[in-house]
Amino acid sequence: MEVFIAQVINGISLGSIYLLLVTGFNLLLLVAMIIHFAYPQVVVLSMYIIWLVLGYTGNNLLLGTLAGVASSILLNLISAPLFQKVMEKRGEVDINSTMVVSMGMGMIITDVLSHGFNKGHPIAFPDTLAGGDAIVRIGLISILPGQVYAFGVGVVAVSAFFWLLYKTRPGRAFRAIAEDPSGARLVGIPLLKTGLQSYALSGLLGGLIALLLAALLGSASSALGEQVAIKVIAVSIIAGLGNLVGGLVVGLSLGIVEAVVQGYISGTWSNVIAFVIMLVVILAKPNGLFGLKI
Amino acid sequence: MEPNEATTAQPTAPQPLLALENVTVSYGHVNALKNASIQVFKGEIVVLIGANGAGKTTLLETALGINTPVSGRISFKGEPIGGVAVDRNVRAGVCLVPEGRGIFASMSVLDNLLLGAHNNMKNAGKHRERVYEWFPILKKREHQIARTLSGGERQMLAIGRALMSSPELIMVDEPSIGLAPIVVNDIFSIIRMLNQEGYTILLSEQNANKALKCAHRGYVLETGTVALSGTATHLLNDPGVREAYLGA
Repeated sequence: MEVFIAQVINGISLGSIYLLLVTGFNLLLLVAMIIHFAYPQVVVLSMYIIWLVLGYTGNNLLLGTLAGVASSILLNLISAPLFQKVMEKRGEVDINSTMVVSMGMGMIITDVLSHGFNKGHPIAFPDTLAGGDAIVRIGLISILPGQVYAFGVGVVAVSAFFWLLYKTRPGRAFRAIAEDPSGARLVGIPLLKTGLQSYALSGLLGGLIALLLAALLGSASSALGEQVAIKVIAVSIIAGLGNLVGGLVVGLSLGIVEAVVQGYISGTWSNVIAFVIMLVVILAKPNGLFGLKI
Repeated sequence: MEPNEATTAQPTAPQPLLALENVTVSYGHVNALKNASIQVFKGEIVVLIGANGAGKTTLLETALGINTPVSGRISFKGEPIGGVAVDRNVRAGVCLVPEGRGIFASMSVLDNLLLGAHNNMKNAGKHRERVYEWFPILKKREHQIARTLSGGERQMLAIGRALMSSPELIMVDEPSIGLAPIVVNDIFSIIRMLNQEGYTILLSEQNANKALKCAHRGYVLETGTVALSGTATHLLNDPGVREAYLGA
């Protein structure tokens, strides 16, 4: 029982990261109308930038945080023209072509990280960011500060995101475009400008995720983005592409399943088991557990 | 079939609110509009009559800025607006109530209305009160999801949403489509009421009889060209129109 509780706690913090990633991915899918497969890779690039800034500033956490968030927003915004060029005739062009652009971007990021930073070795974040010792420890159950941050920031970020989506003018425009892009255009919602706002917002989310990943894992490698990217797109498809609420539930569940499997079987099997479960689900429900929203 | 015939039979108003001059629009190799010219003057109800595929929707959407004309000029209040982005035209006072209403079914009635005010949030409260005065049923349904509305209520919501942008010209594409006859009468009285309130209206309709009885002037579109134009009474009595569109 103790193992189970301990692993569920681990799973919740990991799941918080997955659900934030899926939310950013779905936002881009719904509003910018792109499949940004490499969104997690952009997040990992921001982790490297946080690491660089921490190194140069003698572990100044404030500057590191700002650099993470700013770089993530900037990376998202500068990639926008690339996607929009592909999407120019968005009525006619297959949305899948944006996925190819994104995958290319992801490969470039992975290669740059593995050649350009720290001689290709994984990077380690300082303890000040990772948070150091456990806050609570009862037998096998321990709660680390990074886990508390991940869950806490996850709850706050998701609440703020849904507040923005349902209570503000840009959020209303996001939902309108998600439901019917040409209808939104007819009532005078600027698709390009609103699309850019969604790039910026998913960039903001990405910056927060980069910080949480750094705090939770304490390290990063150039291959991290790709591993996570596959899970994020899997979660999005299992939940139902574009289904925001479904993404929250499935993202959190994946984190818990992975952690519990790690607790009872072996860490090396957790991916296999998680993907077998997802395979079964997608065979039974091809439109995802919660239904497609695009 | 003179393309410019439309411009000959106008009242003597100095400047049209909306004018299309020899506008051609093509989708790939197909010309959806060929040298179409129409004028709409302030305070008028003008109707576009034509069969399916005659180019009515294309004309309205082109005036809104959805399509960029291959040739020709479009102006609103004298300013050229051909190829200008939709949101700028909406800000300038043009709006469209699309065919099939274009209601966002998963959003609340209030959200749908506020979407109409997207470019004019400052006056949203004031406009909303007026929309609720004219359509009390929308106030009653304010927090309901638009999917739950009846066909007539959806049309009212779509018109209400258009009013939220404080337009001068309201274009309504096929307002009667899919509505019960009694509801169609309601919608046409709403259109007349809006016109009396000072809004200029450009309609497209397959239901030519009801539309012409409500309008001041009309244009008949055939395969993308203006085939005929004139006052509503003139068109109602035209033998060709009677045979083709009024079933007489």
